[in-house]
Amino acid sequence: MIGAIELPSHTQQTTEVRDRFRRLKQRPVILEVKNLVKTFETPAGTVRALDRVSLEARRREFLCVIGPSGCGKSTLARILAGLEDSTSGEVLLDGAPIRGPGPDRGMVFQAYTLFPWLTVLKNVMFGLEVTESCSRDQAEREARQWIELIGLKRFADSYPHQLSGGMKQRVAIARALANRPRILLMDEPFGALDAQTRCQMQSYLLQIWKAVDVTIVFITHDLEEAVYLADRILVLDAHPGRVRELVEVPVPRPRHQEQLVSPSFLATRKHLEELIHPVSQDQNDRLPMIRMTQVGDDVE
Amino acid sequence: MTRARPWFRLRSELSPRRRLGLGLLSFLLPLGLWSAVSYVPFLWHPMVRISDPGGAAWFSRGQLVEREAFAAENARLRARAAPTARGEPANPVFLPAPHEVARAVFTGFTTRPPRPEEPWLHQALWHSITVIFWGFFISSIVGVPLGVLCGALPAVARLNEPFVEFFRYLPAPAFGALAVAVLGIHDPPKVAIIFIGTFFQQILVIANTTRRVDPALLEAAQTLGASRRQLLFRVVVPGVITDIYTDMRILLGWAWTYLIIAELIGVSSGITYFINQQAKYRNYDKVFACIILIGLIGLFSDMFLAALGRRLFPWTPNARGSWLAAVARIFRSRRESEALEAAAGEDVAPA
Repeated sequence: MIGAIELPSHTQQTTEVRDRFRRLKQRPVILEVKNLVKTFETPAGTVRALDRVSLEARRREFLCVIGPSGCGKSTLARILAGLEDSTSGEVLLDGAPIRGPGPDRGMVFQAYTLFPWLTVLKNVMFGLEVTESCSRDQAEREARQWIELIGLKRFADSYPHQLSGGMKQRVAIARALANRPRILLMDEPFGALDAQTRCQMQSYLLQIWKAVDVTIVFITHDLEEAVYLADRILVLDAHPGRVRELVEVPVPRPRHQEQLVSPSFLATRKHLEELIHPVSQDQNDRLPMIRMTQVGDDVE
Repeated sequence: MTRARPWFRLRSELSPRRRLGLGLLSFLLPLGLWSAVSYVPFLWHPMVRISDPGGAAWFSRGQLVEREAFAAENARLRARAAPTARGEPANPVFLPAPHEVARAVFTGFTTRPPRPEEPWLHQALWHSITVIFWGFFISSIVGVPLGVLCGALPAVARLNEPFVEFFRYLPAPAFGALAVAVLGIHDPPKVAIIFIGTFFQQILVIANTTRRVDPALLEAAQTLGASRRQLLFRVVVPGVITDIYTDMRILLGWAWTYLIIAELIGVSSGITYFINQQAKYRNYDKVFACIILIGLIGLFSDMFLAALGRRLFPWTPNARGSWLAAVARIFRSRRESEALEAAAGEDVAPA
């Protein structure tokens, strides 16, 4: 390419970043996935959604999982949450295998899943109430704190239908975190939001993550989102869903929007782009050139 | 510059004024048709009401005679050079005019029944309402929980629904004789008919509604640590309760349709008995009045339940204005105009 900016390699890390990764790797492993396989029976035959996927996430790590559509990343999140069973393989949380869904793994879905019949406060209290982990008063106090943390103090008594999409997802995050889960699973949580709100939500999420002792596994198909948020990015292949690469993001923390154009950011993004959307050599991918107008290209 | 929006646009929201206007028109159109047939002499009017019998021996004042018979009799009278009979076009006795029915609605409540053992209109209505209430209530306290369980638990659904599917095709009135044999001749068999008519539909309707609960909410609740029991009581039930409430309003309407048949079973009672008696006396204005009263009771109880629902379920967004609010607006504006008229009347009050 002519005139392209010379980018450093995405593996090049500053001392500061290298130190951070060294410290991260010393932290205990919270989540360990070993040789996870998930197959679906379809009329066309058996489909391998996940093929021997292994990963580990350490305490307070922010792990993003990206991949082309059909790579089974949502299936992975659902298995980690316990909403689906794996065909084979192991999922260990703090060294113990998971059985079914539980409050130790909070989940935020792409669809809005706030309970419409409960106010924001009651939604956030839901987990504390069903697990009976503390008294009602205590639950309400804690829920109010979480609501304050997500900046929706004024909306504690609002119903979900009165909130915007971004606010709903913030409440969903608070609701999941109120149970003090070991890991927070997020399955394309900002996918339904407009670009501006999504940016804002990413920044909110990093602030929340800073205030909480939680490991985040974040599923997305948005490369920029992954680079902006993650410590490490797990890249999956599609058909079958296999681990392609584990990328250590060389962008220093704290992250901010200006870094979206920093060389290390762009280098990582470009690397991911090449992994996931390799430039097609196939002529069939190009549309035939048929001109539907007589007007020249220089028309105003 | 604004142009008036077209009236007929696919699935577009109507302005409040148009909603109200069209809503009123839906009542005024049939009323207008009825009035036209009643008050415009050349529309239909197949009978003649005799005002002067003339020389006809079998005519009397106020008698209704078919138009052809009236013309034939007059022709005969003219042939004998006798004074001809006179009369006005009239409708058959079974089609009273709107004002007669309107009067009957009010006088119905104040007219002493012809025989002392017969009920007053309000007693008959109240009797019918209690029968409906008990039939629907007994059906609901069993049917709603069972329906929810069927909707939530496939095992319960499979155990119940095949039989219920079969049973709901059995016509409830067919059980009339059996109900009388088992439960006697007074109210219990009537309640039983309404129960049978409601219960089996209710289970299926409620079960289907319950199945529509958003599975994403169930999954979210599971990841928050809810047990199976908590899923049922804290997610499924509140998740579908508004839809169930709407179903119940519709089912209550169905229960009313079974009322007339139920009340004919055993000792005829309630509004059906009242209607039949009035028909025997040929008081068709009262018959119509009763039918309209049933309609009004149904309409107003449903509007009341709709308004109550908005109270009970504050989380449901209801952007559009309610029927009740619309009616309240009408009454409010009428009170205001009455007040204005009263004020104006005082100014020019004659001494």
